[in-house]
Amino acid sequence: MLCSSFLHMARKSGTAADRRLAFEREALPHLDAVYSAALRLARNPDDANDLTQETILRAYRFFDQFSPGTNCRAWLLTILYNSFRNAWRRGEREQPASTSEEFAGEIEAQSRDADQSRINPEALLLSRTAGRRIELALNALPAEFREALIFVDVQELNYQEVAIVLDVPLGTVKSRVSRGRALMRKALCRLDQARGKTGT
Amino acid sequence: MDCREYISEYLAGHADGELAPLARRGADEHVSGCPICRAQLIEARALKAMVRQGAAIVKTPADLKSRIRGALDEADRRAAAPWTARLAELFAPFRAAASRVREPLIWAPAGLAAVIAIAILAAIAVPRRGLIATPPPVPEFELAISRFQQFQHDFVPNVPAEAYENQTGAVYAWVINRDPVHRVTDEADSDAFNDLARSYRSANLPDDLFDFAQAGYTITGGRVDQLPDGQPIAYTLYEGAAGEIVSLCFYDPTMAAPIGALNWLGLRSFYEYKGYSICLSFYPTGHFISILITRMPVTQLMRDVAFADPSGISR
Ligand SMILES: [Zn+2]
Repeated sequence: MLCSSFLHMARKSGTAADRRLAFEREALPHLDAVYSAALRLARNPDDANDLTQETILRAYRFFDQFSPGTNCRAWLLTILYNSFRNAWRRGEREQPASTSEEFAGEIEAQSRDADQSRINPEALLLSRTAGRRIELALNALPAEFREALIFVDVQELNYQEVAIVLDVPLGTVKSRVSRGRALMRKALCRLDQARGKTGT
Repeated sequence: MDCREYISEYLAGHADGELAPLARRGADEHVSGCPICRAQLIEARALKAMVRQGAAIVKTPADLKSRIRGALDEADRRAAAPWTARLAELFAPFRAAASRVREPLIWAPAGLAAVIAIAILAAIAVPRRGLIATPPPVPEFELAISRFQQFQHDFVPNVPAEAYENQTGAVYAWVINRDPVHRVTDEADSDAFNDLARSYRSANLPDDLFDFAQAGYTITGGRVDQLPDGQPIAYTLYEGAAGEIVSLCFYDPTMAAPIGALNWLGLRSFYEYKGYSICLSFYPTGHFISILITRMPVTQLMRDVAFADPSGISR
């Protein structure tokens, strides 16, 4: 815990209760969204808990930097993503992780074997175990594509907001979403195939 | 617009409702006349809905919720102490030290040399992986990393902050020679020890500070400690919504810029070192160096530094 309280304490000393109230009203309704995103990013509950708590406390400390009227969820997710990136960027990635290009190539190579006739909307729509399959496919995506889809599809941010959260240009968001969906589609078809083979 | 163009340029934005009106009209026209792309659009929307369902927003566990409430309460409690009392708290050990002439001004850190030595040994002991040679450890950077890690959990300022007043109340800031705010000083007591810059100066260290305020950071506080060789070292912790930056400033006549700098900005050089981003600056006189260290990406540190340059040493 950083010993910084005297800073923000000083900032709005007369209105501490108001500040807390405003924070509870504006930011805390998004707690579930923050926690869910933390879970998807960290991919383990303990880290997700720490990440969520760190995000909320940091947001509280810097709440005066939030512009009322803008999307508070997007602001919180920006803080979340920064915390995540700062804490997880190194250290944990000690092993030479495959680059997104390698990973994407791998998925594509595997899906090349797939029966192309299986890739159709009906096959996707008719799946009865969508949730589990989606989860598997999403987790198999390289981080940059997974993150883009989480923020766009699950958190329902617009591209502009996602660009701010991820600190990348708008065009990059668009291409990650586009590519992420293409990879998801292939991964899902691959899962279908695997299921066909094992009879589950 | 042909199919290839639609798929690569428009499909995602179309499914997400992100197309500008003109582009949207073009995309609508294309899919209305092209069953293949229409199917792609339907599929993209279905996939979007499936991802939303499959990776749905979940409820925060109750114990985490109460942990967070407790932490917020604790933050409120600490904030409730009047800032003047806080300041006095910070003054107390400093004043006591100041009245005892010179040397006790400085707090000794725990076995710095040992820390550096261990860090170097650890770095050497790690087997080298792959074809990329591990660069030799830089003792100054190792020091910065160990301090950064320590301060992230436990930073106790030991020199007083500088207080300003603005419309919303008192604010601690490190804005030198700028005057939108009225500086709070206890005139009666206004000796040489009432702000951070003066504290650093009185320890014979450079007294200029980075003004990261515009970039959204505030200064949590400063420390003056003593290196094993008796030289003083100043630590300043900056905090922003994006992360923390720790600054170290000390006398180091032997340091040369390590190879591998990613970028240069005047007398500053930027490095990625063992998972940290570092800005190393040489003062033009006096053999002082300044190290800024953070876990934020080096591009962000460069942006913030370019924005904040306090003393013009990069000019
Ligand atoms: Zn078409």
